[in-house]
Amino acid sequence: MTVERRAGASVAVGAEVAQMSGPAALPRRNGELVFEAPWQGRVFGLALGVVQHLGLPWREFQQRLIAEIDTRPDAPYYDCWVAALERLVVEHGVAARAELATAERTVRRALAE
Amino acid sequence: MTKSGKRHRGPKDDHHHPAPPSDVEVRARALEELLRDKGLVDESFIDAVVSAYENDIGPMNGARVVARAWIDPAYRGRLLANGTAAIAELGYGGPEGDHMVVVENTPDVHNVVVCTLCSCYPWPVLGLPPTWYKSAAYRSRLVREPRVVLREMGLDLPERVEIRVWDSSAEIRYLVLPERPAGTEGLTEEELATRVTRDAMIGTARA
Repeated sequence: MTVERRAGASVAVGAEVAQMSGPAALPRRNGELVFEAPWQGRVFGLALGVVQHLGLPWREFQQRLIAEIDTRPDAPYYDCWVAALERLVVEHGVAARAELATAERTVRRALAE
Repeated sequence: MTKSGKRHRGPKDDHHHPAPPSDVEVRARALEELLRDKGLVDESFIDAVVSAYENDIGPMNGARVVARAWIDPAYRGRLLANGTAAIAELGYGGPEGDHMVVVENTPDVHNVVVCTLCSCYPWPVLGLPPTWYKSAAYRSRLVREPRVVLREMGLDLPERVEIRVWDSSAEIRYLVLPERPAGTEGLTEEELATRVTRDAMIGTARA
């Protein structure tokens, strides 16, 4: 389905994301998504955007998310989400690990200024 | 309200220095900047996704069903005759929604849904149930004194309106088809869908 939100932005809202179950289930309160910080919301949207842009099935991301949660069951949910997205990006040849590291340094430098 | 992750801090935040971002936040930002540079995602998309999912993902499906029924009498007929099949026409279904019954509000009859036994709820069309739906008070009182409970929840129905309470079960899940609000004749199906709230489809509010 498609949700028109603001000019130019139309978003495919897939049930396969909203209805993930088990450890990968999205954190919610009263049925609505909960983001504990703005960056969590952004990286959530980022993953959807990348998966859609690459034309991948959602399970490509979901399987990596489950694997990250399995490896670090006590880690916060969106920490695992970030790690899963990094893996997806690297493993699908979108960016090399070194590029990610460079981008991190750039962000840190920008924050320090 | 949404915490949609605005990139720019509000003026209030300029008066103090927020804690430095955590490592994971830095990694998330780095990912976003890298992918944006590569043209794989844009900011408005991220904003739209966050907003759409935070508020609408579950109930949006049900709202589309209701809006279609409002504009298409043939669809409305199919929906009331076989809810599961008509809802599947729009692509919604699956576990927790494989036997849907749709009950229609009229000027004389108001329908409201409860699950007295536990918290059965039509997930594919309404998302996850709100906390009050699962509360002991709602479950035990709605059948006994529906008019009072609805009034407490902000829906004051005239005495002449008959209230029908539908008790969900593992086998049957109910969806209320609210009355189309007056003055919406000129709206498109998508605009109508935005008028349909989760509570209207449970029956604790009007559309």
